[in-house]
Amino acid sequence: MEKSLIELSHVTKSFPVAAGIFQALKDVNIEIGQNEMIAITGKSGSGKSTLLNILTGIDKPTSGSVIINGVRVDKLSESELASWRGKNIGVVFQFFQLLPTLTIAENVMLPMDFCNTYPKKERRERALALLDLVEIKEQADKFPSALSGGQQQRAAIARALANDPPIIVADEPTGNLDSQTALSIIKLFATLAASGKTVIVVTHEKEFSTWFHNSIAISDGVIVTEKEVLV
Amino acid sequence: MRIRYLKVLRDLTSDYGKNFMLVLAIAIGVFGIGVILGGYSVITREMKKNYMGTIPASATLEMRDSIPKELMESVRSFPGIKDAERHATIVARMKVGEKWYPLLLFVVDDFNDMRTNKFNRISGALEPPSKTMLVERTALVMMQAKEGDNIVIKTPNGNPAEVKISGIVHDPGLAPAWQEQAGYAYIALSTLEQLGENPEFDQLRILVDANNMSAPHIRQKASELADALNKHGHFVEEIQVPPPGKHPHQGQMNAVLTIFIVFSFLTLILGSILVATSMQTLMVKHVRQIGIMKTIGATSGQITGIYFFMMILICLVAMLFVPPSHAAASLLYNQVAALLNLEITDRSIPVIVPIIQVIAGISIPLIAAAFPVIRGSKISVRAALDNYGLSKKEEKKSTGSSAMVTKFFGETINLSFRNVFRHRSRLVMTISLLAAGGAMFMTALNVSEAWNTNLKRIYKQRLYDVELKFNKAIYTDSLLAKIKSVQGVKGVEAWSYSPTALVKENSFEVTSAYPDKGHGSFTIQAMPVPTTMLNPTITSGRWLNNANGNDALLNQNAKAIVPNIKIGDNISLAVNRKPTTWRVIGFTEDVGSPATVYVSIDAFARLTNSSGKVKMLRVAYDDRSIPNVSQKNLEIEKLLEKENVPLSQSIPAWLLQNAIASHMKVLINSLLAMAVLMALVGTLGLMSTMSMNVMERTREIGVMRAIGATPKKIRTLIAWEGLIIGTLSLFAAFALSLLFSSLMGNFIGNMSFRTPLSLTISLTAMAIWVVIIGGGSYAATLYPARRAGKLSTREALAYE
Repeated sequence: MEKSLIELSHVTKSFPVAAGIFQALKDVNIEIGQNEMIAITGKSGSGKSTLLNILTGIDKPTSGSVIINGVRVDKLSESELASWRGKNIGVVFQFFQLLPTLTIAENVMLPMDFCNTYPKKERRERALALLDLVEIKEQADKFPSALSGGQQQRAAIARALANDPPIIVADEPTGNLDSQTALSIIKLFATLAASGKTVIVVTHEKEFSTWFHNSIAISDGVIVTEKEVLV
Repeated sequence: MRIRYLKVLRDLTSDYGKNFMLVLAIAIGVFGIGVILGGYSVITREMKKNYMGTIPASATLEMRDSIPKELMESVRSFPGIKDAERHATIVARMKVGEKWYPLLLFVVDDFNDMRTNKFNRISGALEPPSKTMLVERTALVMMQAKEGDNIVIKTPNGNPAEVKISGIVHDPGLAPAWQEQAGYAYIALSTLEQLGENPEFDQLRILVDANNMSAPHIRQKASELADALNKHGHFVEEIQVPPPGKHPHQGQMNAVLTIFIVFSFLTLILGSILVATSMQTLMVKHVRQIGIMKTIGATSGQITGIYFFMMILICLVAMLFVPPSHAAASLLYNQVAALLNLEITDRSIPVIVPIIQVIAGISIPLIAAAFPVIRGSKISVRAALDNYGLSKKEEKKSTGSSAMVTKFFGETINLSFRNVFRHRSRLVMTISLLAAGGAMFMTALNVSEAWNTNLKRIYKQRLYDVELKFNKAIYTDSLLAKIKSVQGVKGVEAWSYSPTALVKENSFEVTSAYPDKGHGSFTIQAMPVPTTMLNPTITSGRWLNNANGNDALLNQNAKAIVPNIKIGDNISLAVNRKPTTWRVIGFTEDVGSPATVYVSIDAFARLTNSSGKVKMLRVAYDDRSIPNVSQKNLEIEKLLEKENVPLSQSIPAWLLQNAIASHMKVLINSLLAMAVLMALVGTLGLMSTMSMNVMERTREIGVMRAIGATPKKIRTLIAWEGLIIGTLSLFAAFALSLLFSSLMGNFIGNMSFRTPLSLTISLTAMAIWVVIIGGGSYAATLYPARRAGKLSTREALAYE
C-alpha cells in the first residue's frame, strides 16, 4: 500500500445522553491510501455516520488523531476546517442536497466561489466540464427540481468534484435511487477512484461490494472487519 | 456576480409574499421618518424665514403717555438701536352673530413705511382708509366674514361701531386667530379715534442693531433707552422682550415634532424587530442549506455575509419608499403651517433627511437582525445537517401545570401550550414585537384620552362660566346684586387683575410677552377669600384663607419664571409700576392659564390703593352648557350696558377650552394617526410571525398527519397556538403601555401646561387591541394552518 492519505489513530467519540455518556466510536484505527474506493458498512446506529463526520471534519474526535493528506484535521478551527474541507473533501449526500434556487451549473460553481479556487471567468467552464464528466451537461441551466433523482445525484457528485479534492465522501449516495441508477452512480465513483481520487462510500447495499477495494464494517462503534474486496 | 449573491437574489425573488412583508415592515418606519423629518425640516426652515421676514421687534416699550412723532428720530439714533416705530395695541371686542369675541386692534403709524412686525398683503387696500381695517387672514374664519364686509367692533372706551374689511393680510408673527379664539385687525390712527379712543401711540417698538438674537443684550439696550426716555420725561411702564427669533408657538411645535420623530423611529425599530423575527425563522428554514454550504467549503463569516447581503437588499428595496415619504411630508408641513400661520415658500426637503432615512433604514434592521443571523450562521455543520424541521429538544417530565391544562382544556390546547413554549427565544421576540406595537397603539390612545380628561379639568378648576373685564376699575357693590338677581346666575364675584413682572432693583419691568399680549404674559389675579369661582389644584402649601394677608400662590407657569422660589419666601411683583411684596404660601397646577399669581383682593386693594374698585367680574351659571352660557352672557352684557359699565372683554370658559383644544388639535390627531400606524405594523408583525411559525413546521405537521391527526385537529392546534401567543402579548402590551403613557403624558403635559397629564387608561384602546390581537392571531394562522392541513402527508414530509 502506498503512503496513507487518511490516518485515524485511536479515535474515540462520545456524546452525552440522558442515560450518561454514549460512546459512538471506540478506539478506531483506520488507514486509507490514495486511489482507493472504500465502503463503510454497518447497521443503523453502529457509528458509521459518526465515522464519516470525523473523516470529513464535520465532527471532532473526543480523543485520538485524524490526519488527512498530512493535515492534523482534529486540531483545525471551525473556519480553517470549512476552507480545508472545501478544498480537500467532496461530500455527496443521500438526498443530493442541491440548493434549490441555483441552477445545476451554479450549484457546481458555488464551492469554487466559497473557496476561491479557480479564477471567476473559468468557473462556469469548469462546472460544465464536470457536468459533462457526470454526463448531464445538457441539464446545466436547469434548476434541481427539474431533474430526476439520478441526475441530481450526478450533479451533486460534480459539485463534490468542483474544487478538485483528493477525497470524495458519499453518505449512502444510492439510498434514494432505483437499482439501475444506483449502479451507474457506483460506476461513476469507480471511474473517479480510477482517475486518482480516494472515494469513501457509506452503503447498505451489498450488491455493489465488488466495486470497492476495501470494506470497513463497523458495529457498536468498533471496526469489526476490514477486508479486501477484489474488483 | 458571485454565485453566493446570486443565490440571495433568487431566494428573495422565490418568495415574494414573505419578502414583501419584510420590505413593508422596514418601509413603514422609513416612510414615517421621511414624513416627520421632512416635515420637521421644512417647517423649521420656513418658520424662521416667515417669522424673521416680518422683522419682529426686538423689544416693545410700553409708554405711560403718547409718543410724539418727533421723538422717533432721537430713538432711531440712540446708540445700539437700529430702528424704531410707534405703535398701539387695543384689546377690543368684535361681534360675530350674537356672540362677542376678543379682537386685537394693531394701530399702525405709517402703512407705507412699516419698520417692525410687518405683514404680507394678500388682497385689498395697501393702507386701510378711515373707518376700515385690514384683517389677518386667519381671523376671517373667526369673524365669519370676507373682504368688503362690515364688522361691529367695540373698543374699551368707545361705542359699538361698524368697521369695513378693506383688505386681507398675512402676519406670520401671530398664531392663527381660530386657535386663539380672537380676531386680529390693523387700523390707522384716524380709525382708532373714530372708534372712541384717544388717537395716540403708546408702544415703542425697537430693533437693536447688533447681537439681535441675544435676549440679555436686547434687555440691556432697551433698559438703556428706557433710562434715557425717562430722563426726558417720556415714562416707560414696561419693557417686553419676547424670545428673539422665536415664533410664539415654536417651542410647542418643536416638542410636538420631537414626539413624532420618536414615534417614527419606534415604528422603524418595531419593523426591525419584525425583520429580526423573520430572519430568525428564515435562518431556521435555511439551516440545512447552511449545513450544505459549510460542507462544501463556506465559512461562518461567508454565511453571515450572505444573509447580511440579503438583509441589505431588503432594506434597499424598502428605500423605494423614501421619495413618496417626502411627498407625504407635505401633508404634515401643510397642516403644521396652518397651525403656525406660516406660508410655505420653499418645499424642498433638505438632503440630510434622505441620508438619515437610508442610514437608519439600513443600520437599524441590520442591528436587529444581527443576532439571529450570526447565531444561525455559526451553527455547526453536524447540527445543521441533522436538522429535520422537527424539534429535537427533549421535553421535560410532564408538570402539574401541564396536567391541569389537559384536565381543563383538553389535550389539543395542552399541546398548543407546549408548542408555544418550545422555541423560547422566538416566543420572546414575537411577544416583544406584539407587545411593543400594542403598547404604542394603546399609548397613543391613552395620551389622547388623558389630554381630553385634562381639558375637562378646565371646568373643574374654573367654577365660573364667564370672565368680564373692564377698561378701568369700578365700584361693583350694587352691580353684584343686580347680576345675582338674573335668573340662572348661580354666583358672581368681583375680582381684579393686573399684568405684572418681577421687580429687580434699579431696573425696569421686563416681561417676555409677545405683541399679541397673550403668549409669554405674567398676571396677578386678586380674588375674594374665600372664593367660589376657582377650585385650583394645590400641588404644595395651602390655598388662600386669610383675606387680609399678603399671601400668594403661584401657578406652574409663574413658578417657571422664578424656579428657585419656595414656600415662605417673599416675592416682589410690580403692579402699575409699583413694587408689591407677597409671601408665597403655595403652588397650584392650572390647566390653560398663563403665568399667574393668586392673591386676596383685599390685600391687593390695600397694596395698590384701589380699595372698593375692581377690574373684573366672574359669573357662574346654573346650566354650564355653551348655548345657555352664550344666552346668559348676552343678558349680563345688556345689563352692564344699561349700568354704563365699560366692558372691555368677555371671555367665556368654553372659549378658553376651545382655544386650548385648538392649540393641540394637530398633536392629538397625529397621535391617533400614529395609533393606526402602530396597529398596522403590529398586525403585520403578528400575521408575519404567526404564519411563518406554521410554515416552518410543515414537515412536523406531516409527521402528525402520518400518525393520525386529522386536518381539523391540526387547524385547531395551530389556531390555539396563535391565540395563546396573542394573549400572552396582551399582558406585556398593557404593562408596557402604562410606562409609555406615563412618559409621554409627562412630556406632552409639561410641554403644554407645565404639568404632567394624569395617567389615563383608555378602555376603548384596550378593547380594540384585544380584538386586533384575537382576530389577527386567528386570521394569521388560519391560512397556513388550512394549507398545512390540506397538504398530503407525503408532501408535508418532503417540505423544505
